[in-house]
Amino acid sequence: MKTTIFSLIIILFLGLNTAFTSDKDKEVKIKTSAICEMCKARLERNLGLSKGVKESSLNLDNKVITVKYNPDKTTPEAIKATIINTGYDADTQLANQKAHDKLPSCCRKTAAPH
Amino acid sequence: MKTFLAGLLCLISISLSAQRITGSVNEQVANSTKLSPISGANVYWAGTTQATVTDTAGLFSIPRLAQSNLLVISFVGFRNDTVKVGADSELQVVLRSDQTLDEVTVRSGSGSIDRLSPHQTEIITTRALAKAACCNLSESFETNASVSVSYSDAVTGSKQIQMLGLSGTYIQTNVENIPSLRGLGSTFGLNFIPGTWIQSIDIGKGAGSVVNGYESMTGQINVELQKPDTQEKLYLNTYINNFGRAELNLNLAHQINKKWSTGLLTHGSTLQNRIDKNGDNFLDLPLYSQVNAVNRWKFQDEKWMAQFGVKALVEDRMGGQKDFEREMRGSDQTYGFGAKINRYEFFSKIARLFPEQPYKGLGLIVNAAVHDSKSYFGVNNYDGKQKTFYANLIYQSIIGNTNHSYKTGLSYLLDSYNERYRNLTLARNESVPGAFFEYTYNHLDKFVFVAGGRADFHNLYGTQWTPRVHLKYSLTDQTTLRASAGKGFRVSNPLAEYYGNLVSARDVVFRENIRPEKTWNYGASVTQEFTLGNMNGSLIVDFYRTDFENQLVADFEDPRYIRFYNLEGKAFANSFQAEVNVVPVKRFELKLAYRLFDVKQTVRDIYDQNVLLPKMMVSRDRVLFNAGYALPYDKWKFDFTVQWNGKKRLPYMGSLPDHHIPGNLNSTMAPSFYNLNAQITRTFPKWDIYLGGENLANFRQKNPIMGADQPFGQQFDAGMAWGPVVGRMIYAGLRYKIVR
Repeated sequence: MKTTIFSLIIILFLGLNTAFTSDKDKEVKIKTSAICEMCKARLERNLGLSKGVKESSLNLDNKVITVKYNPDKTTPEAIKATIINTGYDADTQLANQKAHDKLPSCCRKTAAPH
Repeated sequence: MKTFLAGLLCLISISLSAQRITGSVNEQVANSTKLSPISGANVYWAGTTQATVTDTAGLFSIPRLAQSNLLVISFVGFRNDTVKVGADSELQVVLRSDQTLDEVTVRSGSGSIDRLSPHQTEIITTRALAKAACCNLSESFETNASVSVSYSDAVTGSKQIQMLGLSGTYIQTNVENIPSLRGLGSTFGLNFIPGTWIQSIDIGKGAGSVVNGYESMTGQINVELQKPDTQEKLYLNTYINNFGRAELNLNLAHQINKKWSTGLLTHGSTLQNRIDKNGDNFLDLPLYSQVNAVNRWKFQDEKWMAQFGVKALVEDRMGGQKDFEREMRGSDQTYGFGAKINRYEFFSKIARLFPEQPYKGLGLIVNAAVHDSKSYFGVNNYDGKQKTFYANLIYQSIIGNTNHSYKTGLSYLLDSYNERYRNLTLARNESVPGAFFEYTYNHLDKFVFVAGGRADFHNLYGTQWTPRVHLKYSLTDQTTLRASAGKGFRVSNPLAEYYGNLVSARDVVFRENIRPEKTWNYGASVTQEFTLGNMNGSLIVDFYRTDFENQLVADFEDPRYIRFYNLEGKAFANSFQAEVNVVPVKRFELKLAYRLFDVKQTVRDIYDQNVLLPKMMVSRDRVLFNAGYALPYDKWKFDFTVQWNGKKRLPYMGSLPDHHIPGNLNSTMAPSFYNLNAQITRTFPKWDIYLGGENLANFRQKNPIMGADQPFGQQFDAGMAWGPVVGRMIYAGLRYKIVR
């Protein structure tokens, strides 16, 4: 019984630890085809939930997303692949057409700026 | 995040009242896109004397007016600007200098929310609900300090909530502002609202608003269900625990076109595994299966909002001795319990909106429900049927400006009860037309005063007056004081409310005709927000007292009877609570709460003397600690809760000597115990998995059923369960979402 509680507490604190170690984290900036707040939320969430990504933040003014990641777990290529598969361009690589067409009309590349 | 936004949008659409216009007045700096604030600009409603001046930061705040929706902004050297104000409540105005003839630009932000409710309100969001992944409304309060949940007996699996020291029947529980868990539905009602259907829960302590009726005595709980126009097109939740309980929830939402949307919420769950861990030959949990669904439709355009739908629920429960089978119903050899519940409901809400006058609104709520339950406890049968019709017409507007607003309207409640227990028949028809008026004075959201009253013309119990007042005063941005006082009234349903106690050898005795219960509730609270270093936190302290003018006394002091009678003398409930919330680091939340109850009730002893005794089954002390940590986007989420429940008074359970019955039967005290819950969730872009445990300390009440070896003997009583009957429970599940 007690071991269950202890192991839960240990898991909790391990979780805390992994969250605070940021010494070897790297940063990459990628230009995307995001348009609006919805795009921002979608991209940041999908990246945030992908392997090895610590933080991501999209600047809607210049459409550049800044991604903090653990180089042991992921690569800039994998991060770009996530962006493409979410339906957006990543630097020179074009968005996955299928994913792009699934986006709401306001988030597609054809949408008027708003 | 999205659900949170959806929730916000929803709140905005509801809180049409108490709106002020705030904004800023700026000028464009020459040859630049920068704006610089104009201080001292005049802001006034066209054709009125209601005016204000912008401060040094160019900011202003002005109440809405009924007479005008044209806001004029003027300043020397600049062109006057007139803005037509609609639903927006934040404006950014850019004035152009006199020399240029360019058009004026007006941009408006989204509406703001009056989050500073005059009522002491706690909100449980979808995110907090996910902390306790399981299963229905009764489990949704695990991490809340104000509401506690307990099994009412060791056989039926029905659950009771408690707030301010009194049972859930004194709380008005609404589903989307429709009074819902009431009457016969109060027995199992908490199990009828699956957790995945819930968008948010508002818990209001103390007297509630008069708009929703007279039944809120110690507080009100409002449950908002998932909306048909939510972001999630599909939401699937599966759940299984180590006792063999399995659950499936599927929510669908479909936007048909811009104005119409429809939603389907479904739930199916079952437990078919016979468990008797404490070896008393009785099932620790009843076998059951439930099928439950809501289909609703929503129409929304600028001027109208309409929602209507149907709910249906079928539940079948069976419990009692381990080898009891359905066919053995009525047997006097093997004790069995069974309950079949059918519930059907229709609801509709229509609102007329006034886009130009967002403070104005007209709404009509209509609800009809049929609740049919058929139960047996050993050889005793209990059937109950309730038919309800409810309508509430609400109009809200302002007097002069939005500093003074009001809600008024008419309501009608028709309740038809038909109950039969053994050879006792209870039937009554209640027909209650009513009218209400509630006035709100709001000064800059700093000082809010609400005074409301309603008159209800009850066909059986005459005219009932229900006055209530609420006060909120923000001393500073960090300190808020609240106070409330009010009356409450309800007609009790003794058998449905003390259902679990029917699983006993006790004889049910009605000593007299039961009159409606009446209470006065007074309370006050302080909310203090603070910063310690770079750590944010809040401290909430509140005290409430409920005084009974009349109470349904359920007297268990004599182990042979359940006696129901009216209160003669005093009965009250005092509740004190202190709660600290801190966020030591980002996304790490801690909560510590302590609660003290002093609940007393006058009962008649064996010589018919009135004695004031502590109410049974109420813990004097309770402590709750909750820790939650989440990674960004909830990639990983950890949650841990400990509750400590203090001692409770239990009635005398021994045998009675034949010759000499002592005047005061000794009561016993149930010991205190801990309850530990923990949960881990991992989120992926489309789905979540969760694993958790309840009652991890594996605490069990040793003999939850008195006289379990002789269920047809005089000592048998399953209604004295004060703690968990089953031990540790481990569960796991999966949530899958398709977002629009």
